[in-house]
Amino acid sequence: MSGAESLLRVDGLCSGYGALQVLFEVSFDVRPGEVVALMGSNGAGKTTALKTITGQLKVLRGTVHLDGDDVSGAPAEQLVRRGVAMVPEGRGMLRDLTVAQNLELGAYVVNDRAVVAQALDRAYTAFPILAERREQKAGTLSGGQQQMLSVARALMSGPRLLLVDEASLGLSPVMTETVFDLLAETNRKDGVAVLLVEQSVLALDLADRAFVLEKGQVVDRAEGAAVRAMQGRLREAYLGRASTVSAR
Amino acid sequence: MLREVPPSRAAGAAAIALVVAWSCTLSPVRLSVLVGVAATAIAALGLDILVARSGQLSLAHAAFLGVGAFTALNVGGHGGPWPLALAAAVGAGAIAATLSGLPSLRIRGLQVAITTLAFQVAAENFLFTRQDFTAANQVLERPALLDTDLRLYVFALGCVAAVLIVRRRLAVTAAGRSFLAVRDVEARAQCFGIETGRTKLLAYALSGAIVGLAGGLLALKEGSISAKDPFVLLESLQLVAIVVVGGAGSAAGILTAAVVVKGLPQFVGHISIPLTGIDLDAVRIVPIASAALLVVAVVAQPEGIGGVYRSVGRVLDRLLGRGTAGRSVPRAQPTATPGAAEQATALRGVPRGLSLEMPVRALLETREVTVQYGGVVALDAVSLEGRLGEVVGLIGANGSGKSTFVNSVSGLAPVTGAIRFRGVELVRRPPSRLSALGVARTFQDMGLVRAETVKENVLLAQTWLCNYGRLAGILALGSTVTRERELRRRADMALQLFGLDHVADERLGELPYGTMRIVEIASAVAAGPDLLLLDEASAGLGPEESHALADRFLALRNELGLTLVVIEHHVPLIARACDHVYCLESGALIAEGAPGEVIAQPAVIQSFLGRSTAASGGPAR
Amino acid sequence: MAQVVTGLAAGAAYALVAVGVVLIFKGTKALSVAQGEIGAFGYFFGLRWSARGVPGLGWHPPLFADLVIAAVVGALLGLVIEQLIMRPLVQRPPLDGLIATLGVALFLALLEKEIFGTATQFAPSPVGKWRVVVLGATLTAERIVALGLAAVVAGAIYLFFTRTKFGLAVLATTGDPTVARLLGVKVTQVYRFVWITAGALSGLAAALLGPAFGGLTPFDMTKFALRALAGAVIGGLDSVWGAIIGSLLIGVLEAVVGGQVGARGAANVAVLALVIATLVVRPQGLLGTSGAA
Repeated sequence: MSGAESLLRVDGLCSGYGALQVLFEVSFDVRPGEVVALMGSNGAGKTTALKTITGQLKVLRGTVHLDGDDVSGAPAEQLVRRGVAMVPEGRGMLRDLTVAQNLELGAYVVNDRAVVAQALDRAYTAFPILAERREQKAGTLSGGQQQMLSVARALMSGPRLLLVDEASLGLSPVMTETVFDLLAETNRKDGVAVLLVEQSVLALDLADRAFVLEKGQVVDRAEGAAVRAMQGRLREAYLGRASTVSAR
Repeated sequence: MLREVPPSRAAGAAAIALVVAWSCTLSPVRLSVLVGVAATAIAALGLDILVARSGQLSLAHAAFLGVGAFTALNVGGHGGPWPLALAAAVGAGAIAATLSGLPSLRIRGLQVAITTLAFQVAAENFLFTRQDFTAANQVLERPALLDTDLRLYVFALGCVAAVLIVRRRLAVTAAGRSFLAVRDVEARAQCFGIETGRTKLLAYALSGAIVGLAGGLLALKEGSISAKDPFVLLESLQLVAIVVVGGAGSAAGILTAAVVVKGLPQFVGHISIPLTGIDLDAVRIVPIASAALLVVAVVAQPEGIGGVYRSVGRVLDRLLGRGTAGRSVPRAQPTATPGAAEQATALRGVPRGLSLEMPVRALLETREVTVQYGGVVALDAVSLEGRLGEVVGLIGANGSGKSTFVNSVSGLAPVTGAIRFRGVELVRRPPSRLSALGVARTFQDMGLVRAETVKENVLLAQTWLCNYGRLAGILALGSTVTRERELRRRADMALQLFGLDHVADERLGELPYGTMRIVEIASAVAAGPDLLLLDEASAGLGPEESHALADRFLALRNELGLTLVVIEHHVPLIARACDHVYCLESGALIAEGAPGEVIAQPAVIQSFLGRSTAASGGPAR
Repeated sequence: MAQVVTGLAAGAAYALVAVGVVLIFKGTKALSVAQGEIGAFGYFFGLRWSARGVPGLGWHPPLFADLVIAAVVGALLGLVIEQLIMRPLVQRPPLDGLIATLGVALFLALLEKEIFGTATQFAPSPVGKWRVVVLGATLTAERIVALGLAAVVAGAIYLFFTRTKFGLAVLATTGDPTVARLLGVKVTQVYRFVWITAGALSGLAAALLGPAFGGLTPFDMTKFALRALAGAVIGGLDSVWGAIIGSLLIGVLEAVVGGQVGARGAANVAVLALVIATLVVRPQGLLGTSGAA
């Protein structure tokens, strides 16, 4: 628990969209092989944080370190080659390409064709639904299936760290649990670290550590057993103090 | 009340006056050339209206120039008096341009540009080769009034001045504002009462009319035109170059560019670059240079020569101590001017076309409203009410259908079910009619034109109140002036109510985000609605700003008697401001009641947290 | 029938340019109307070197080499344009890109006038003077080669997109450049690739069209490119197959209308009508996907 070198480390990060600053001195980290949940309601800045880490938004202040190397502002193409894969918000489907093509693109940075073929097999085994629909256009899949494809695609490059952006968006809670179970399993079996950016408290069920973002600042954090207990505080963060007042 | 004229403006005007006066002393040959330059300048100014205000690119403007010129020749050649010939040229240009703009009603800008390209090629290879159209043997006699080169030149200058006046009128009336709204926020412009199709076509017609005038002027100057050279694709491209290098939207820049591109080669035989011994033939160099400048302008200096003028003007103003002081806008919460609220109640006094009852209870009734996109159900049989004088809240987790609800009420989503406002059925009514009925709304990501000033935007939101035809407005006919004054009074009232009068002349896009959102609310109120729909008005606002926003909502209800439907993510705001709250999940209502009750309900809490509620499962959205 | 065959051959040359336009559109969402002049530029270089010898080397390239020179110069020009002009415009609205390429076309055409003169370049065919009679139509060597080349290009593109990793990367960039980046695709490589390829194809087209039309004057190629553009629009701006089919259609339409109707320019009107009809009835073109442009 202590002394483990952080895989991903974000320090004092500030960023935003043009006139609007969204992140104010955000700091958190992800250690190798662990699941970290970055929680927050809408507008808290969660997606902004991920976009800044992957170079889609400019870093105003602060740093991002990967394996101790400064990668602040590095474009996504570089991060992928260093073992970081992203499951984007809204799934990032290439709608007109088939499931198979999407998966192959997941392994774009892998040069050994044999390794790619292996990864493809593993994906089809782990996600039988995708195997069934491998020649179908990705745009025709249901929301849940697309989410699974997005996760499977991210895993194709054999990453050490998965950045998952609001996988629960648009999914029913049951579907969300399924996706989270898959992520938990990946983490257990292959030791892939996961940064789970989420609104849904279901993420707390598989997190080793959790941070809460509110209006662009980290307002709370917990580790180990304390993570489950965060639910109550999250309720207040999302719904305000009124939610803790019992009904008249 | 005279407004202060910045020294840069005064200097510019003086410089132009001097240059024009001097030009009148030139030799007749040169004056004749300048008439041609003036015609090009007018054509470019016409193209600019399309490019700058409407955001559309036309590559057929040389063809329209030809249409105008040949029409004038035809009319004149058949014995018509020259004013008739000019008028016919204007009309023909307008018609031709409108025809070429028809595709813009259905397709996007890039493809429209291609159709204009095809139009240009077809015109120059077919239309302009037909003898009967090109009036090959017709001659347009120059009238006695304009028989010297000087007189024709002065007339040409008059035409340029007239076009500049029309452009100015465009900018300060509803027509110009509508063009910009359609350019920047197309679908949403309807919520201001703007009909996008008609607006687009009007822009083409106006642009074509101006180019037609230029064509008529050319016909007057030449008397007869034997070749189609001035009207081919190359000339269209040159016009685009003049507009872009001059700076889209800048008359001064465009005039400069026109003089340089068209006039320089005729006046200056050779250009010698000192110290290098290079001697260049202007006729050959200027076109290449302008093409190169076109590319450079697009990439590096989009504001063109006009931008350079503006920068110089700013420097001049600052040197003379009259710069725009304090560009930083105070971050403090804008507060209303005392007494503004009483004044602002006058905003509610607007004429309603239909005689509508003021219902006893529900101003807004929605019954079984369902919205489906493909196989996905965004709203599932939602029935809710907005009672008169209430602040109603609509909450829900991300993707629960809140915005879809607002869109369905404002006519921007395909609805089955019933939506009644003051007893009038809204479904299947065009969105542009809603503001007249008394419904106004704001958008989650700001539905205003950031390039325009705050005041312009508030005026824009009142478009439905204009009551004058667009063209009449440009020509300042009838009651236009009084109507505009009235609209500006209303705008001032709304701005004072929200404490925004100190930023009235600032560009919206340069204000802090929170202030921009308040401007949008002020604009919606200025339109004089009975019902105000606010879509995530607190998005991007900090906690104190959200708190203040809740107070504003209450003030709008208490002081102006408005009914509000507030769609929100930020639950504390709802708790503070609302009388009645509804909660959506996956498109369906799962709770309603007083704010405290609803927020404490387990189903609502679980919905926000992402856990299963009783009715969970089913396919993903 | 002879007209149809002639039309197909002309359409094949348009197709070479149209494929380039569509590649650029797919890869960068920009519409390039400069493809004609880019090709012409390369071709003029080839002609001049053949006639006067390469400066400094004194070597006169054989006529056949003109094809290669045109393709190479076209490709280089495409690369320069992409790097200096189009790359900075990637985030801007698409009309800005269109205007920039208009400027480039204008600049190149006028520059050609300066460097190479306005007289029609005597344009000997780079592929010889043999002819073939097909279904009643006499096709010159360049036409046949153009047809063959178009077929080869079509096949190559098909293989490229379905069998190669980089082809997949281009498709990904078409769909969503942000997502492509997140998958590790270097989109700048994609941008360069489409511009270089389009430039080379334009060079080939110019070298084959020049002799076919008895010589090229500056701006001629732009007029040809406009027909290619029409073909791309009709076929679907984001479909390579669409570009080919659309161009063939335009070629045939021109040949047939031009043959039947006596009036000059009637073919242009026919093309205009077809473009407008397509955009009104099916804006995405025959094979395009909606949401393009």
